[in-house]
Parts: sequence; structure tokens; C-alpha cells
Amino acid sequence: MAAVCFYFQVHQPCRLRDFPFFRIGKEHFYEASALNVEILNRVSDLCYLPVNQIMLDLINRWEGKFKITYSITGTALEQLQRHRPDVVESFRKLAETGCVEFLAETYYHSLAAIFSPSEFERQVKLHEKAMKNILGVKPRVFRNTELMYRNDLADILESLGYKMVLAEGARKYIGSQSTNQIFVSENNKVRILPRNFILSDDIAFRFTDVAWNEYPLSAEKYAGWLHKISGDNACINLFMDYETFGEHRKEETGILEFLKNLPGAVLKNKKFHFANPSDFLKLKPAQAPVYHSPEWSSWADEEKDVSAWMFDNMQKDALSKVYELEPVVKELGKPDLLDVWGKLQTSDHFYYMSTRYRHNPVHQSFNHYASPYDAYLNYMNILSDFKGLLGL
Amino acid sequence: MKRTKVLMLGWEFPPVLTGGLGTACYGLVKALSKYADIQLIVPQTDRHQTLENVKIKGLNHYGIAGEGAIELPPVPLEEYAKVKKVPAEFFNPYPVGIGFEQEASALVVPEAVRALFSSNEPYGPNIMQKVATYAGVVSRIALDMDFDVIHAHDWITFPAAVKIKEMTGKPLVVHVHSLETDRVGPLARGDWNKVFEVESKGMQKADRIIPVSQYTQQCAMENYGITEEKFFPVHNAIDESETFRMPNNSGEKLVLFLGRVTFQKGPEFMVETAWKLLQVYPNVMFFVAGVGDMMDVLKQKVLERRIDHKFVFAGFLSKTNVKKVLARADVYFMPSVSEPFGLSALEAAQFDVPCVISRQSGVREVLPNALNADFWDTDKFANYIYGLLNYEGIREDMVNKTRQDLAKLSWDDAARDVMEVYDTLGV
Repeated sequence: MAAVCFYFQVHQPCRLRDFPFFRIGKEHFYEASALNVEILNRVSDLCYLPVNQIMLDLINRWEGKFKITYSITGTALEQLQRHRPDVVESFRKLAETGCVEFLAETYYHSLAAIFSPSEFERQVKLHEKAMKNILGVKPRVFRNTELMYRNDLADILESLGYKMVLAEGARKYIGSQSTNQIFVSENNKVRILPRNFILSDDIAFRFTDVAWNEYPLSAEKYAGWLHKISGDNACINLFMDYETFGEHRKEETGILEFLKNLPGAVLKNKKFHFANPSDFLKLKPAQAPVYHSPEWSSWADEEKDVSAWMFDNMQKDALSKVYELEPVVKELGKPDLLDVWGKLQTSDHFYYMSTRYRHNPVHQSFNHYASPYDAYLNYMNILSDFKGLLGL
Repeated sequence: MKRTKVLMLGWEFPPVLTGGLGTACYGLVKALSKYADIQLIVPQTDRHQTLENVKIKGLNHYGIAGEGAIELPPVPLEEYAKVKKVPAEFFNPYPVGIGFEQEASALVVPEAVRALFSSNEPYGPNIMQKVATYAGVVSRIALDMDFDVIHAHDWITFPAAVKIKEMTGKPLVVHVHSLETDRVGPLARGDWNKVFEVESKGMQKADRIIPVSQYTQQCAMENYGITEEKFFPVHNAIDESETFRMPNNSGEKLVLFLGRVTFQKGPEFMVETAWKLLQVYPNVMFFVAGVGDMMDVLKQKVLERRIDHKFVFAGFLSKTNVKKVLARADVYFMPSVSEPFGLSALEAAQFDVPCVISRQSGVREVLPNALNADFWDTDKFANYIYGLLNYEGIREDMVNKTRQDLAKLSWDDAARDVMEVYDTLGV
């Protein structure tokens, strides 16, 4: 039997409002509330709500044979709870089916794993709590922001009780071995599910590309490609943004029809089934190849590294400035300040500052800044004000 | 292959420079001479200023080679516009003062032509007389010249160019470095303003128009009603130049305004920006290099805002001194109301000075890594300057990216684009 692991990332940052320098020290509210609600409503109506319904129907129709996995960031969940309880309710319904797994991650969708193990731990715990309180689930498998992974993350994950993590399946990390299998961390303590980036991107990016020689892509054709993958213990990991369905790719592109037809097309071959990551935890660990990433990897761009967030001087400066506040914020220990500081760590803020990917459409989706410079200057003004709140 | 023969009509040319026009003409002519045979006629030349493959004729030497007297109609520009006379002091938009009180007279002898074009002031209160005389003399000289295309730079040469086109039937390319609507705004439409009409007619009669930016094309289309298909925008470039940085030991950051202090350059928006910035961040000095008819207004406004101790008015600077101040500047600030191109921003960029520039400018099309805002948005200008002076992460990124942008600019590319424009005329 070969397993297909279908996983979706659900994330919305708390975008920052326009904060010119003359507000520093005068106003201390940082969120672009109206914009955030507008985007949240758009994505909810185009994707979350209708696609959750499609998923629920598919799960019911295939009577437990169709399984899917989500991770929902704390910042997304928080906004949904406040403005779109209907979406939260629909995720809850999915959780009740028993066919849907929810993963753990950093609450703020941050780069804390890179900059501060203690802050990383705080955010993972915060996210666990939100998942339990809001969706009533206890995540058992971890995925880091944008699938960022480095060898030593395994040690931290193990100490937090996680024995499995998702990562990017790029050649530079898995070598010449098949992507469609479970890997293990260098310390041999944590199992790693590598993303099949070709098959994932076929859906997430190439689906609407008319210049692509496989266009248009039908569920049958796609399932045919999966079926060519051999091996009894093959595990095909299809990881992508949930917003791909209905938002990045609108309904009229046929993406939702594709989704509706996919389970049937895949299950037509009896050797294939859908699985959740934690299903593999039950398996006895077989001899597994080692996932090797001495530097930080991620699922982003061609480079599959973290340069989309920390390549430019602006990005490095902003990141170092926000993380150097940790001792002061924690010393003060005020929950509201901790929350604001956490929200200032959301990776999207740094992604908007990338000069390298300024004209890349993938980077521009949901970006409300005219340029990376605007993103940086606005962020730094807000950070200056926040430092004032900390008494710095 | 036969080389195209170009009759090029210019106004400013080194060493006579008041703004970007002369610098741009020089850069283009020099690069274009590789591909075409150019005969350039300008009001004034210096015998030391020569260019390989370019024949340069200055009217300040007219008659020395035996050229004869020229007969001019008494009011040669009459056909361009119905002129009402206004007092000169009422309105004074040009670099160093142009008046409209003097009409061209029937000036004829070569000595008088030489005298007219020998002053150090390329415009001046008798500009209309100069333009008329240039038109008369040049159209006469042109009859004895062999060329395939006429290429005229800005309104001051348009009457000559149109006349030559009418006499010879050769195709006319007009090059637009700046428009009256940029220089004086809505006042360009005043019915006593001849320049607007001269520009209008020049562009209407032209077979092709080369604006120095898409922005200028838009301005010409919107304000002059010229149709889109005539336009072939070609951006200016900048020659490589030796640049350097010098330490700024004053302890205060330096924001540089470089250019004529006229309506067009938006000096009052500089004052507003400075005032807003200084409320929060006093550790900065505004350095104004340039002169112009709004100097007194600018100084007055600075006094009213009580920020005069934060301004240095350096007057007109030599090229060497411009470089010295660029080498020290922390920010280059160009809040122009309407800037067809803005070559000085490229000079600043060459010196690795981050640029904060008006969105109503052509140069922003080639400097995507400069910060830009609408000229009236002084909140945003102040925010940008504040950020550049306070946050260390941005300068290097902007400078590095801007270096790459500058590397993409070359006069040779501009010259080739111009050759393509000639090609569309079949010459």
C-alpha cells in the first residue's frame, strides 16, 4: 500500500497598519484591522468556508477513506474566532470526523526556531493551548513555519514531545533518494515527512499555467502520476497553502472540481490510500534514510532556504532588533506586551521586506506594501514605538 | 550601410549648462555619433569643446566663415501665438529670468548674431529674440546642409526645426526634455504664454516625439493633446564618473536639495517636509544647492517655520563642489512638482546617496529602488527621510540595488533607441 498525505497550511498574519514616524510614542495600536478583516472575509468566502464544506462532503462520501491534514496558525485562528466564527465551526466539524488531523506549530507563524529556542517553546505551547481550547484537538506532529527545518530542530522537537515533523523534500536535503518515503533526523529521534515538491507544485502553482504542457490538469491524469509511484511503503506528501483552493486559484479555474474528483481518482487504484501523518507514528520505525539539513531549509522559492525572510540587510536588521527585545519583554511578563511582541515576529512582515523577490507574484499575494522599503520602514517605526512601551 | 545624417538642433551644450538639458544633449550626441553623422547647431560653442564625428556650429561664431546677413520678419513668432504683452516682473519662471516684454526685431548683421549669442546667459529676458534669431539663422544655414532627419531639443529650437521641415520636407524628430507645463504648471495655459504654443506646434508638426520618460509622454498627451502613436520615450543615462565618499564630521545628518529653486522643483514642499521631520528629529541639516526665482519665497517660508537654523543656502555650486557635497550627503531629496526626468537624482545615486524623489518624475522609472511619494505628500517624504536617517538596515540595500539599476543605463542604449526611431521614418 502506498499512502498519500494531503496537507494544507492555513495562515493569515495580523498585518500592520500604516505607522508613520510621527506616531512613534503617541499611538500604540499596530494592526491594520480593516484590511485584515477584509482579507479574512475574502479568503473565508472564497476558500475556507466552501472548501471546508467540500472536504466534509468528500470525507462523508468516502466513509473514512479520504483523510486530510491542516495546520492553522494562531494568528489565523484568533482572527477567525473574532470575525468568522462560522469558519471556526466548520473546522470543528472537520475535526469531529476523525479523518482530519491538525498539526502543531508556532502560534505566531514566526522564525522563533531560528532566533530563540525559549521563545519557540513558548509559541508552540501557546499554539497547543489554542488548538485544544478552540478545536478540541491535541496535535502530535509538528510543522514549522514555512516548513523550516535544520538538523538541530529535531533535538528541540524531541524535548517538546514531538516525534515527527514535516519538511521540504528538495534534493539538497534528501540526496538522490526517493522523496516518497519517511526520513529520519540526524539524531535518529524524529521522523521526517518530506514534501514532494513537484507533485505539490503541480497543484499549487502549475495548475493554472496555460504554458505548461500538462495543462489542463484533470484529477484522473494527476492520480495517474501518483499511481506510477511504486513501493509498498511509499508515502507521497502533498503539502500546500490551503488558500490555493478558491483564493490563489479561483473557482473558475476548475481547481475545486479537481479537488472533488481527486479522492475517487486516487482510490481507484486499490494499492493507494490517504493517510494522516500520525498514522505513521503507529508504524514500527523501519530503517530510514537521514534527512540532512545543516542550514535552514524551507519550502520557499527555488532556493528552498530561508533567504526569502532573512537575505536583505533590512530583514536581518528588523529580525535582530525584534528578537533582542526578548529579555525585556519576558522580564516585564505582561501578557498583552508578550502578545504584541509575538505578533511582531510573524514571518510575513519580513517576507514583505524582500528586495530579491519583489516582483515575484507568489510573494506579492496579500502584500499590502508598495515596496520592500515601505515594509521595512513601517515595521521599524512600529518597533520603535513598541520599544517605548517597554521603557527602552 | 549608409549612415544616417542628422541635423541636430540644441540649445544648452557644454560648457553652457543650466540644468539637465545640456548634459543630456551632450551624452546623447556623443553616443549617437557612433551610429550617425551629426551636425549640431547650438547658440554658443566653446572652441575647446569638440566631439569626434560631430560637426558643432555655434551661432556665437556666425559670420566668421563668411556667412552673410539674415533677414528676419519683424515678429517671427507671431505665427505661433497671439501674444499679449505682460510686464516682465509679473511672471518669471526661467532659470535666470525670462521676460516677454522684448520682441524680436529685424536683426540682420552677423556681428549682431554673434553678440546676441555670446552672453553667458542662455535664456535671459531677451529669450524670445534669441529663439527668433536662432530660427531665422539656422533655417537659412540648413538650406546649404545635407541631412536626412531633423532632431530638435526642446521648445527653444522648435521654431527653427519646424521651419526647416517646411522648407526641406525632411522628417522632424522633436526631443522633449521638459515642457512648459512642468516648468510653470497651470500657468502654461495662460493665453499670453507663447512657450506652450511653440511646444504644441512643434509636437504637432513633428513626425516623431522622443520624451525623456513615460511620465513626460503622459504629460504631453494630457496637456497638449498629442496622440500616443508619435511617442517613443527614451530615458536619459549617465556617464560613469569617479565617485567618492567623504566623512560628514558635522555631527548632523545632511539632506541635499540640488537644483534650481523654482516652482517646478517644489521648494515649498521641501520646507513642509523639513518642518515635519524637525519636530521629531532635529539632528539634520537641509543643504540647498541652487538658485532661482523662488529663493526669496523659500527663505521666507523657512523663517516663518522657525527652522532657518536648519538650512544652508549654498547658491549655485560648481561641478566640483556638487561632488563634494554629494560625497557627504545622507539623503538626496527631490520633491519636484513635475520633473520630466531628473538627471541630478542619477548623479546622487552614482554617489551612493539614497534618493527620496517625487512620484511626478521620469527618473523614478529608472530608479525603482529610490523612495518616491507624490510631491504634495510631505508626511510621506518626512517619513522616508526619517527612516533613512534612523534605521541602519535600509541604506545598504537601497544603494546596492540602485547600483544595479544604474548599471543598466547607458547612453549607448539610448542612442540605439534613437536610431530605431529614425528607422521608423525610413531614413
